[in-house]
Amino acid sequence: MDVISCQELTKTFGRVRALNNITFTIGQNRITGLIGPNGAGKTTLLKIIAGFLRASSGEVRVFSEDPFNNLKVAANMIFIDDQMRFPQSLTLSEILASAAAFYENWDMELARRLFDYFSLDPEQYHHKLSKGMKSTFNMIIGLAARCPLTIFDEPTTGMDAGVRKDFYRALLRDYLRKPRTIIISSHLLNEIEDILEDIFLLSGGEKRLQTPVSDLKEFAVALRGKREVIDKLTAGQEIYYQKSVGKDHSYVVIRRDAAEGLLKKAGRDGLEVFPVKADDLCVYLTSRKRGGIDSVFDRY
Amino acid sequence: MELNSVEGKPIYVQIAEWLENEILCGNIKENEKIYSQYQLAEMFNINPATAAKGINILADQGILYKKRGLGMFLSPEAKEKIRDKRKNHTLKRLVEEVVFEARLLGVSEAELLSMIRDAGKVFDEHEGIEGG
Repeated sequence: MDVISCQELTKTFGRVRALNNITFTIGQNRITGLIGPNGAGKTTLLKIIAGFLRASSGEVRVFSEDPFNNLKVAANMIFIDDQMRFPQSLTLSEILASAAAFYENWDMELARRLFDYFSLDPEQYHHKLSKGMKSTFNMIIGLAARCPLTIFDEPTTGMDAGVRKDFYRALLRDYLRKPRTIIISSHLLNEIEDILEDIFLLSGGEKRLQTPVSDLKEFAVALRGKREVIDKLTAGQEIYYQKSVGKDHSYVVIRRDAAEGLLKKAGRDGLEVFPVKADDLCVYLTSRKRGGIDSVFDRY
Repeated sequence: MELNSVEGKPIYVQIAEWLENEILCGNIKENEKIYSQYQLAEMFNINPATAAKGINILADQGILYKKRGLGMFLSPEAKEKIRDKRKNHTLKRLVEEVVFEARLLGVSEAELLSMIRDAGKVFDEHEGIEGG
């Protein structure tokens, strides 16, 4: 069953096209990583799914309903980001108590245990917390709510490395205990890669790729060898990344299936073949220029 | 437990190999139930779907068999199958790489063989031979 489905979703803000003609579905109880560079449209997409924003055109369905201003979606969904505001008069424990009243599956025991572990003071006020502590508190709300659709938009802002690691582990363990549909957005893939089932790659408001993470690792390979050999071999191929190495060598990233065919035909011919890390591939697939930042400095 | 995600191998392949090693050194016995995808997910901090993919590799190769509703169990011929497979694929590929490197460096066949023998001696002295 699909929890989310979008058909030709477009969102414009004035003259800016934040999302362009996006079509996808997200199945039940899967963990999806929404990955993309700054300004890709990640937050806009998540806010449309959450029902906070209305699409300019196209169709959006969450639990088979239009999520905008929808009570069923609001009750079954939680959206966590670093802009969350809570009443200034409530202490953290009072916030937990009111969240418990709203979310049907709320797990207070889990919230208390996480509170203890991260040494949060129940009598503290949310607006007095540091950036990292706020993120930690928000994360606890997001996990303890145990909503069938749980959305984390850049949840680890301000968290130190240890807390980030704990957060992802807590997320995975609670997911194993109570599977639900989870979307986590991040501009970094490597931290969350292992706990994801699928990855959704967004850049410039367009969907680049939606695939199981395990396939992403095998999607591309890198070839390194003499420039003339590489150039001849990869002519006409889609090249995701390219750079010069040493005096006359070149390093290119192309699709694995294309590379396998080419190598079978041409033989190794002094070429070296490397795997491409998933997060590097994401950067290549979403980068502005084929040569990356080096293209700014080369021939300058 | 830490998995090496920097290395090129997909995680589900690493899971399959880890299970194979557990089987080869006798930590999982014939007809015994193996780890579930959820146990593996928790142990290695990975998505359970990834763990399932690792388990399925071994099931497809007949190293594991499924009992409906009960999970995956170890085939009686699992060890033999893993050994054959690793010898004909993994070991063969490693040997090819060694030969390739030796050629590149101009190391003679005799020299290479003596290096292999020396490595074997060091291994015998320090580690002993595991399994049987």
